Amino acid sequence: MSENILLLPVIIPLLAGILILAIRQRLGGLREIISLLATGSILLIAIALFKQELTYSLPWAGFGMEFIFRLYHFSAFILLAITVFAFLIVLYCCSFMQGKNYLNQFYSYLLISVAMANGAVLADNLVLLLFFWEGLLVSLFGLIAIGGREAFKTATKAFIIVGVSDLCLMIGIGIVWYLTGTLTISKITVPLNALGSTAFILLMIGAISKGGSMPFHSWIPDAAVDASVPFMAFLPASLEKLLGIYLLARISLDMFKLTAGSWLSVLLMSIGAITIVLAVMMALIQKDYKKLLSYHAISQVGYMILGIGTCLPVGIIGGLFHMINNALYKSCLFLTAGSVEKQTGTTNLNKLGGLWSKMPVTFVCFLIAAASISGVPPFNGFFSKEMVYAGAMERGLIFYLAAVLGAFFTAASFLKLGHSVFLGKRNRANENIKEASWPMLMPMIVIASVCVIFGVYNRFPLGKFIEPVLGGQKPVEHLTENTTLIVLTALVLAGALLHHLFAAGVMGGGNKASDHIRNAPILSNIYDRAEKRYFDPYDISLRAINKISKILLSIDRWINWLYDGLSVRLVCLFSNEIRRAHTGNYSLYLLWSLLGSIIILIVMLKGLGSW
Amino acid sequence: MALVSASISAIIIFYSFSYISHYENQTEYYLMVVLFFGAMMGLVFSGNLIFLYLFWEITAITSWRLIGFFREKLHVLRADKAFLVTLFGSTLMLIGFISIYQQNGSFDLAVLKNSHISNIAVVLILAGILSKSATLPLHTWLPDAGVAPSPVTALLHAALLVKIGVYVFARLFIATDFVIDEYWHIVIPVIAGISALVSAGAAMIETDLKRIIAYSTVSQIGFIFLGLAIGNEIGVVGALLYIMMHGLAKGGLFLCAGIVEQNSKTKDITQLGGLIRTMPITAVSFLLCSFSVMGIPPFGGFFSKYMVITAATQSGRLWISFIFLAGAVMTIIYLLRVFNLVFMGQAKTQPVKEGSAVMLISVALLAALSLAGGVLIYYPSQFLQLTVQQLQEIYR
Repeated sequence: MSENILLLPVIIPLLAGILILAIRQRLGGLREIISLLATGSILLIAIALFKQELTYSLPWAGFGMEFIFRLYHFSAFILLAITVFAFLIVLYCCSFMQGKNYLNQFYSYLLISVAMANGAVLADNLVLLLFFWEGLLVSLFGLIAIGGREAFKTATKAFIIVGVSDLCLMIGIGIVWYLTGTLTISKITVPLNALGSTAFILLMIGAISKGGSMPFHSWIPDAAVDASVPFMAFLPASLEKLLGIYLLARISLDMFKLTAGSWLSVLLMSIGAITIVLAVMMALIQKDYKKLLSYHAISQVGYMILGIGTCLPVGIIGGLFHMINNALYKSCLFLTAGSVEKQTGTTNLNKLGGLWSKMPVTFVCFLIAAASISGVPPFNGFFSKEMVYAGAMERGLIFYLAAVLGAFFTAASFLKLGHSVFLGKRNRANENIKEASWPMLMPMIVIASVCVIFGVYNRFPLGKFIEPVLGGQKPVEHLTENTTLIVLTALVLAGALLHHLFAAGVMGGGNKASDHIRNAPILSNIYDRAEKRYFDPYDISLRAINKISKILLSIDRWINWLYDGLSVRLVCLFSNEIRRAHTGNYSLYLLWSLLGSIIILIVMLKGLGSW
Repeated sequence: MALVSASISAIIIFYSFSYISHYENQTEYYLMVVLFFGAMMGLVFSGNLIFLYLFWEITAITSWRLIGFFREKLHVLRADKAFLVTLFGSTLMLIGFISIYQQNGSFDLAVLKNSHISNIAVVLILAGILSKSATLPLHTWLPDAGVAPSPVTALLHAALLVKIGVYVFARLFIATDFVIDEYWHIVIPVIAGISALVSAGAAMIETDLKRIIAYSTVSQIGFIFLGLAIGNEIGVVGALLYIMMHGLAKGGLFLCAGIVEQNSKTKDITQLGGLIRTMPITAVSFLLCSFSVMGIPPFGGFFSKYMVITAATQSGRLWISFIFLAGAVMTIIYLLRVFNLVFMGQAKTQPVKEGSAVMLISVALLAALSLAGGVLIYYPSQFLQLTVQQLQEIYR
C-alpha cells in the first residue's frame, strides 16, 4: 500500500465540503449523501490503516517546515475515533437538521473540520500541526455563526479565545525550533530548562484551550445556547477533546518527557483539579439541558488533564482512556439532548418531565451515558475515573479529593437532569410527543453500546488502543487490587443518590434538587456574580484590553498633536517674528544686506586665514 | 517586489474604473496613478542613493495630489499634512545620504556594500523610512489620508507607498548590508513593536472604517519591520512574504471598505450593521481578507506571521516576540469587531446595494489570492528563499 493513502483522510472530506458548498441549496438529499459517503469512506480508510506505520513527506515552506504525515498507533487511534464520530454525527444530522437554515454551510464546515482535525492528528511537523489546528478556527467560526441571529457574538468569542491560545502555541513552536533545531515532532526532545518550560507552558495553553479547560472555557456554554446540538456533540464534546488531549499527551510525554517530580506536572494537575470542581459546580445549578451538559464538557476535561499531569503510567492511561470515554458518553448525551429538543421543542428543564414512556430508547441511552459519566460500574467511565483517582492519590491527597468532589457533583447533577427530564410529572404540552426517528437513534444506540462494551471488556480498549501509546508499559497495579478506592467511589455515588433523593423530596421536584446549593449562604453570592459573568475571563480581558486601547489611543493622539498642534504653532510663532523684520522700509532692508555681507566676508576671511 | 507591486496595481486600476467614473477630473486621476506606479518601479530598480531619493519624492508629490483629489478644504489639509510629514522625513534622509557620501565617497549601492555608517546617518535615514512607511512616531498622516478616494487609499497603504519605506530599509540594511552598531537590532524592533501596539489600540477604539484599516496597516508594518530588523534568514523571508500577503489582504479590505462607503454613504461603523444580507460577496471577501491579516491558516498571512515571530524567538530575545503576540491578539479582536459591527447584527440603514460587478470581482480576486497564497505556500516561499539566498551570495 502506498503512502499516498495518508492524504486521503484530509483530502476526501475537504473536497466533499467544498463540493457541498458549491451545490445548490434546493437540491435536498444530495448533500447528505455526499457527507455520508465522505465520512464513511474515511472511516473505512482509518480502519484499514489501523495498526500500520506509515510516513508521507513533501517539501513545503522551508525552514524546517515540511509536509510530513506520520501514522503510528497513537495517531491511528485518534484518527479512528474522529472518523467514527464524524460518521455517526453526520448520520444523526440527516434527520435532526431537516428544515434548518444554512444546511449546505453546516455540512460543508463540518466536513472541513473533519479534514482539519485529521490533518492535525496525522501531522508530524509542528508547523503543519499548527496549520491544521488553527484552520479549525475558520470552520468553528462558521459553524457557530450559522446558528442564529445573535450567534455571531458567540462565534467571535470562541474565535478570539481559541485564536489567542493558538498564537501562544505559535510562539511555543518558535521556541522549540530555537532550542532543538527541528520541527519534526517525533525527533524532538526538549530540555526542561527555563526556556524549555516557557515553551511547554505555551504549547500547553494551546492544547488545553482546544480541550476547553479553564480558563479558556467560557465560549462553550454560550455556544450550547446558540449553536446546533450536533455541533456541540461533535466539536466541543468529542473532536476538540480528542485533539487537545492528544496534543497534551504528545508534548508532555514525547517532546518534553515530563517527570512526576517537576513543577510543571503540579501545574497541570492543579489546572485539572480546578477545572473539575469549578465547572461542575456551575453545571449543577443549570436549568437547561444543553447548558448543563456543556459545563460537564468542561469539567470532564479536567480529569484528563489531571490524569496526564500525574505523569504516572496509571494516571496517563486513565487520562487517555477517559478522553475516549468522555467523547463517547458526552456526544451520546448531547445527542439525547438533541432528540429531546427535536421532539419537544425545548431544552428547559422546568418545562420537561416524564418523557421516559414516550421516548424509551432515548431514555435508555441517556441512562447508560449518564451512569457512565458519573462513574457507575460497570460502565466505561468508572474504570477510567478509577485510574485517574489512583494516579491522583499517589501524587497528593488534595488532587484526589478534588476529583472525588467532582464525581459527587457530577452524579448529583445527572440525577437531577434525568429526574427532571425523563421522570417526574409530564408537562401537558408534551402529551403527544413520539420517539425520535431512526437515523437519530442509531448513533445514540451505537455509542451507548460502545460505552457498555468499553466498560465490561475494559481490557480490550486499554490493551488495543491506549497502552501501546506508552510503548507497551502496563499500568503498575490492576484495578481489582485497589479496593479501597473502589469502596470510596461507591460511597460517594451512594451519597450523591441519597443527597438527590433528600433534596428532591424537600424542594419538591427533580429540577429543583440543586436549589439549596444555589441558595447556600456564601455560594449564592458567588453564583449570582458568576451568572452575571463577573468571572468570565474573556469579558475581563476584553475590558482590560479596551482600557489599554484607550490609553494607547491617547498616546497616538498626543503624537498627532505634535504635528497638528505643536509644529503648526511653532511655525506661526517663528514666521510672525520674521514678518516683523519686513516693514517695507528701504533703509532697513539695506541695513540687513550690509549686515549679511559683513558676516559672509568674515567667514570667507576666516577660511582664507586657516588656508 | 516589482512583480507584487505591478500585479496589485493592475487590480486596483481595474477596480477604479468603476469607482472613479462618477467623479470629475478623471484624467488627472489616471495621470497621477500611473505616474505613481512609474516612480515606484523606478525606485525598486534604482541602484543609487540619489535616484532612490528622486523617485521617493515623486511618489510623495503624486500621493499628495491623490489624497487631496476631491479638493475639499479638509482633504487638502490632510494631503498637506501627509506631504509635509513625509517631506520632513525624506529631507532628513537626504542629509543622511549626504553624510554617507562624505564618509564613503559614493552614492552607488554596489560600491557602498558592507560599509560602516555612523549612528547619526542611521537615525536620519530611519526618520525618512519611518515617515514614509507610517511607523510611530511619524505615522499619523496615514489615518488622516483616509479621506482619499478609496482605490487611492488602498494603493497608498496596502500595496505601495508604505512598503516603499520597508523596501528601502531592506535594500539598505539587508541587501547592501550596511554595518551598523549592534544595539540597533534591539532598538528598531522595539520601535516597531510600540508602533504595532499603539496603532492596534487606536484601531480598537476608532469608529471610522477607513481609519481603522489604516491604523491596522500601521500596526502590520511593525511586524514587517520586526522581521527585517532581526535580519536572520527566516525573518527576512518572512517579512518579504508579509509584504506580499499583507498587500493582497489589506488591499482587499480597503476595496471592501470602499464598496461599503460608496453604497451606504457612511464610514462610521457604529451606524452600519447587518450588511451581510444585502452584500454577501463583499462581506465574505472582507472576512477572508481579515483572516489573512490576522494570520489564520490556511491563509497566506499565517506563514508570514509565523516566520516573523519565529525569527524574533530565534534571535533569543523572547520578550520581543511577546510584544508582537499582544499586537497579533489585538489584530484579531479589532478586525472581528469591525466585521461584526458592519456586516452582522441588525441593519441600521436603508438596505444597501451590493457593489458593481467589476468592484466585486476585484475584491473577490484579492481574497482568493490571499487564500491561494496560503494553500500553495510552497511556491512563494521557495521563490523568496531563493531571492534572499541570492542576495546574500551576491553581496558576500
